[in-house]
Amino acid sequence: MTSIVQNQWYVAAYGREIGRELFSRTICGESILFWRTEAGQVTAMSDRCVHRRFPLSEKPSHLNGDTVVCGYHGFTYGADGVCVAVPGQKRVPRTARLKSYPVVEQDSFVWVFIGDPDEAESTRIPRAPWLDQEGWTVVSGMEPLKARASLLIDNLMDLSHETYLHGGYIGTPEVAETPITTEVDEDAGIVYVSRHMADAECPPFYSTSTGIQGRITRWQDIEYTPPCLYKLHSRIAPVGVLPNEDGTDPDAFHVEVVYAITPETENSTHDFWAVARDFALDDESVSDFLRENNRTVVLQDVTALDVLEQVLTGEPDGYQELSINIDTGGLAARRLIAAMAAEGAGTTVEQPAAATAP
Amino acid sequence: MTLPPPREVLAGEKVLRINWLPGSDRLRGLCHCGAEAEGEDPIEMWEWLLAHPDHPAGGPTVTPSPDVLPPPPAHRVSDPSIIRTRTPVLV
Repeated sequence: MTSIVQNQWYVAAYGREIGRELFSRTICGESILFWRTEAGQVTAMSDRCVHRRFPLSEKPSHLNGDTVVCGYHGFTYGADGVCVAVPGQKRVPRTARLKSYPVVEQDSFVWVFIGDPDEAESTRIPRAPWLDQEGWTVVSGMEPLKARASLLIDNLMDLSHETYLHGGYIGTPEVAETPITTEVDEDAGIVYVSRHMADAECPPFYSTSTGIQGRITRWQDIEYTPPCLYKLHSRIAPVGVLPNEDGTDPDAFHVEVVYAITPETENSTHDFWAVARDFALDDESVSDFLRENNRTVVLQDVTALDVLEQVLTGEPDGYQELSINIDTGGLAARRLIAAMAAEGAGTTVEQPAAATAP
Repeated sequence: MTLPPPREVLAGEKVLRINWLPGSDRLRGLCHCGAEAEGEDPIEMWEWLLAHPDHPAGGPTVTPSPDVLPPPPAHRVSDPSIIRTRTPVLV
């Protein structure tokens, strides 16, 4: 049984990655070919020719108008994946079609549906509107992770690790010291974890980008919609500065840190990251700083999780772990994902909050 | 450091909440039905909440710790090629 949740939308790429060149990426263990039609629509289909399995992303395969031509024997496919021409004969076998995937371009991401395509339309695609919205400036990237997706989810759901793994960047003592509140809406499929620091040291990531000198009121609000999209609503303000009663918040700096956690395989993950801000919108130096620093932070996680994956794969089944208060949100996420995985596999989870491994 | 009371953000009808009580190691669980309990272990607390509507009386189970703890398990290493085929344990 796969640990990858089926019948869900996953981020496969940024829209900017897909153009009139053939583009391939493995998503949830499936090798998928992406390209844009002449009208600009993104298409997604299997990256294996039905004839002899040659990857259609490999040269000399190429686009010809709105068809893709296999570089091995010339099998030619339309944007819907249906084969429209084969070499040397007029009859195209009726079964000559590539598996095609439901695909949606939204919030700067290309989302692809993994599972039964009939389930795609009724399945939620979570939103991250700041990534493509007036009034926000975004830096983003993607780092390959040689670790299972669940390790990145654990990492992101418990930000107390910032204090230790990301000291000097985003971590300060107050992050690990401050209690969290956790909410779960099972019907909506959301885990929400709040950590509100009233009086905290300002880490370099924020002091340099916002220009705030001195201590800050720092709010971290995680909104995770399993399995793929993670949002950290980050609010930074001078100590004591709170939003107005009407909800406006003109004296704070807002940063939306977005991750898309997409399994590549059972043991590797595409770690998409984006940082959107509502200040210094046109300041390239702030963009450069946030891009470089956030990438550094992501790579610190990647290094740690790559090591952890190696350790865990080397240990026998049922390895022991220990959970404490900081893990409350991560445990909730695991439970929701287990329930989603069971639903996607057509089974049920009797005790979704089962205790730790023996 | 003082903190405002925990905010309730999610507006669904079946939201479960666990608040880590400031200034302590205690957790307070709140079910959408109004049941509340305190405890010290997040796993036990989630199980207590998920027992809705039959929340065990007395709150989450507290597993008594023995006076003398057994040694931690050895970190045995076995063949990664075999282990890679296993299904990860989701807790």
